[in-house]
Amino acid sequence: MQAKAKLYPKEAAKLLREKPGVREAVTGATLHFEEGRKKAYGEIDAEAFRERAKRVKDHLLTHLDHYLELAEKRLRENGVQVHWAEDPLDAHRILREVVARHGVKRAVKAKSMLTEELGVNPLLQSLGVEVLETDLGEYLIQLLGEPPSHIVGPAIHLALSDIQRLFHQRFGTPLNASPEALAAVARKVLRDAFLTAELGISGANFLVAETGTLVLMENEGNIRLSTSLPKVHVAFVGIEKLLPRLADLALFLPLTARAATGQRLSTYVSLIQGPAKEGEEGPEEVHVVLVDHGRTTLLHDPEAWEVLRCLRCGACLNACPVYRQTGGHPYGYVYSGPIGAVLDPGLLGLEEAYPLPYASTLCGACYEACPVKIPIPKLLLTWRKRAVERGLAPIWERGAIQALAKVMESPTLYRLFSKALRGLPLPQHLLPLLRAWTEGRGPLKPSPRPFHELWKELEAEDGR
Amino acid sequence: MDARTRILSRIGHALKERPKALLPEHPHAPPSANPLDLFLKRLAENGAEGHLLGEERARKLLGELSQGLPGAAYGRGVPASFRLLPELPPEEAPLGVSWALFAVAETGTVALSSEDGRRAQLLPPVHLVLVEEGRVYPSLLEALLDLKALPSALGLHSGPSKSADIGQVMVKGVHGPGRLVVAVLQGSW
Repeated sequence: MQAKAKLYPKEAAKLLREKPGVREAVTGATLHFEEGRKKAYGEIDAEAFRERAKRVKDHLLTHLDHYLELAEKRLRENGVQVHWAEDPLDAHRILREVVARHGVKRAVKAKSMLTEELGVNPLLQSLGVEVLETDLGEYLIQLLGEPPSHIVGPAIHLALSDIQRLFHQRFGTPLNASPEALAAVARKVLRDAFLTAELGISGANFLVAETGTLVLMENEGNIRLSTSLPKVHVAFVGIEKLLPRLADLALFLPLTARAATGQRLSTYVSLIQGPAKEGEEGPEEVHVVLVDHGRTTLLHDPEAWEVLRCLRCGACLNACPVYRQTGGHPYGYVYSGPIGAVLDPGLLGLEEAYPLPYASTLCGACYEACPVKIPIPKLLLTWRKRAVERGLAPIWERGAIQALAKVMESPTLYRLFSKALRGLPLPQHLLPLLRAWTEGRGPLKPSPRPFHELWKELEAEDGR
Repeated sequence: MDARTRILSRIGHALKERPKALLPEHPHAPPSANPLDLFLKRLAENGAEGHLLGEERARKLLGELSQGLPGAAYGRGVPASFRLLPELPPEEAPLGVSWALFAVAETGTVALSSEDGRRAQLLPPVHLVLVEEGRVYPSLLEALLDLKALPSALGLHSGPSKSADIGQVMVKGVHGPGRLVVAVLQGSW
């Protein structure tokens, strides 16, 4: 995927101006998710679960080479074909070979953020393969030609009326069709695709090293179908997705479900060991592509390596008051919200993503929600500090902050400047700092009297 | 050097200075009373239907579900005594009947092996799962620790297929069965 993270501030302002409905839809959906998560965390000793999950992932990451080699060995023993991809080009080559060898005309896809990173859909289309996203939300945004706006709910930015309009245009359903009726239309199209596709593509939530087991979580059944009906299954797995032991799933499956959707367990979990045995239903070939694409660079980072614990549950997005205003699109890359703000600079390079760590109030809600205790607020500051050190923050901003620090340290200067700002007409169109604020907002209107004067007055009244 | 070698060598380099973290032991499973009650309760909370039945009543339940249906799709492990309807291909069958490998009480889950099949578990709009009473584990941890060999694919099903992707409204039966019925069979099989 082409990253546009550099444009975040402009894109966020534009979205708020031009698509006010998105804020409402995203806020509604994320608050609902967040409520579910809180309730689900409340049923368990969430702190103990999170701490244990963090420790298992830290162990895995600090022994990653060992576990990757073990997973590869087990996968091969299970009859799975293992490939390694450093970047999208490697992944494309592997996929092209599979498509050519099996004469693939149609592919069904289970939702996978990694395949968004790798640009799997555009590649398949360029090869003349019809590719259908089968997660209902992914299918909706595929019809619209949009990228996902949330890790778990890719279409949460769409209101029911948007989807009614889309299906009316595409399938001729009435404009007031119920969600059930709309889902039935999608089910019919996609059922046909499941039964005729030669290739099923998925990501993975986990890959268990000890047994070579691919693990996928979902609620619709589209992943089970995508990995069961076509004769070939290709799974793209980020190298950080490993777990040491099969029984670790007893911790990670429920914890991920609770964090993501407030469920005790996702409706469907697929534990995939390999191709179908003689006389069994299921794919003849299973391929696992182990993908780096920036992850080893992150692992090398003495601070940011901790983001590799991420389970992609989306809980931090739901908890974030900044994400809630716009949804994921303005972030300009696959991963948005708080996790995107700390992951994308690592995956893309800070030069490509430096505005994202600023898309936060540092309120800390993301850390409270994170099932693997990624210190997101701390890492946001880490990336901001690096952005300033590398001169990525605009020069006027650095000057402005230094001046502000001087003014704030001296009561005399502070009073002088605040008086001047209140007294003078603000040259709002001249100062870039003010322009960034006034774009898409009303002009700044300073209070006629400063706070410290009002405060003094209140104190005097209280004293009486 | 191929991609594998380069990736592994970068990892080795990245981890050179990093202190190794210890792997925590699995927690002890809390002692549990009869898991069957919890299992049935959780199934209901997940939007599925659960029944604890002897063979006679289980056949009666199957009879009720079969009312007016032309046939059903069966998993390989389903005993002949539960094959009341003519067998249909799963793509056409209005009912799928499966034999579960095990079940988990704490999450309200049935585990379905690819050795039993796959299509009958996923394509019909109604899915009846039979599971032996003695195969219901209290917790997921106990079930996984006890699992000796994994089939090609193991599906953990904890309710009907559902999605809230359209306007945040919960819709059942999006791709998989919209109705999941579990019969826990008393006695040994």
